[in-house]
Amino acid sequence: MATAQTRLFGREVSFAVPEVWLAYWLVLLRLIVGWWFMHAGLDKLLAGSFDAGWFVGGRAAGTSLGPFVTLFADGAGLAFVNFMIPVGQLLIGVGLVLGALTRLAAFFGATLMIFFYFINGETGGWSHGVVTGDLLGLLIFAMIATVGAGRILGVDAYLLRTGVVQKYRRLRYLIG
Amino acid sequence: MSELTVVDKFALYAGGALVVFGIVGIGLLEMVAGAPHPVTGEGQIVHEALVPIAIRSYLILLGFLLWGGLAVWRFVTSSVISGYGVPAPTETE
Repeated sequence: MATAQTRLFGREVSFAVPEVWLAYWLVLLRLIVGWWFMHAGLDKLLAGSFDAGWFVGGRAAGTSLGPFVTLFADGAGLAFVNFMIPVGQLLIGVGLVLGALTRLAAFFGATLMIFFYFINGETGGWSHGVVTGDLLGLLIFAMIATVGAGRILGVDAYLLRTGVVQKYRRLRYLIG
Repeated sequence: MSELTVVDKFALYAGGALVVFGIVGIGLLEMVAGAPHPVTGEGQIVHEALVPIAIRSYLILLGFLLWGGLAVWRFVTSSVISGYGVPAPTETE
């Protein structure tokens, strides 16, 4: 068992890291959250005619994010959303399941969850409090991106050893 | 782990404080003296809340934006700020 040492909130922090349990849970989380989004994307694509108008133009109106989201309520904006939601969800899901470009996928997953969290929440989802499944999903995406869960049994473990990634360190913020 | 820069600390501390205050702090306040359930199941805002739901949302949202902004900032500046960058990959097989 390794020991992690760092400094947080002005204090030295030292704690044992149970590698095998951490690795196990990160892979499990990545697979399940990945499947969650992969399924959501595939479901919409296979159904054929996805229309987010009821959400973007209807439900979102009057919420905190309404002034921004309703800009996409019709025309080219809505067409963009109708394309990007299912395709984005599928790509995020595949990225997490395979552990490929995991940080990038998780970043966009968290971004998407911000919209779901506030819009669903303010329109009834917060009737039992503001901690909802959307918030927990957002936090799991943030955790996957922060720790770089794709390095464990994922494609990113290979990508990180490639010459391109070794040369351009910035890429490690997308991969991992 | 690399040392945190001033930007890192601001985003992590301020972002975390806003998210925790918006979710937990205001949640406790509302339980004690306001409206524990900020909206109804039908999506109607409960006006007895001490902190208007829009204000609460914006506080939490600002926290998320600080976190997300830090991710973008570190990505953009990773090649010019000393100490930025993630640990080298480790063997997994």
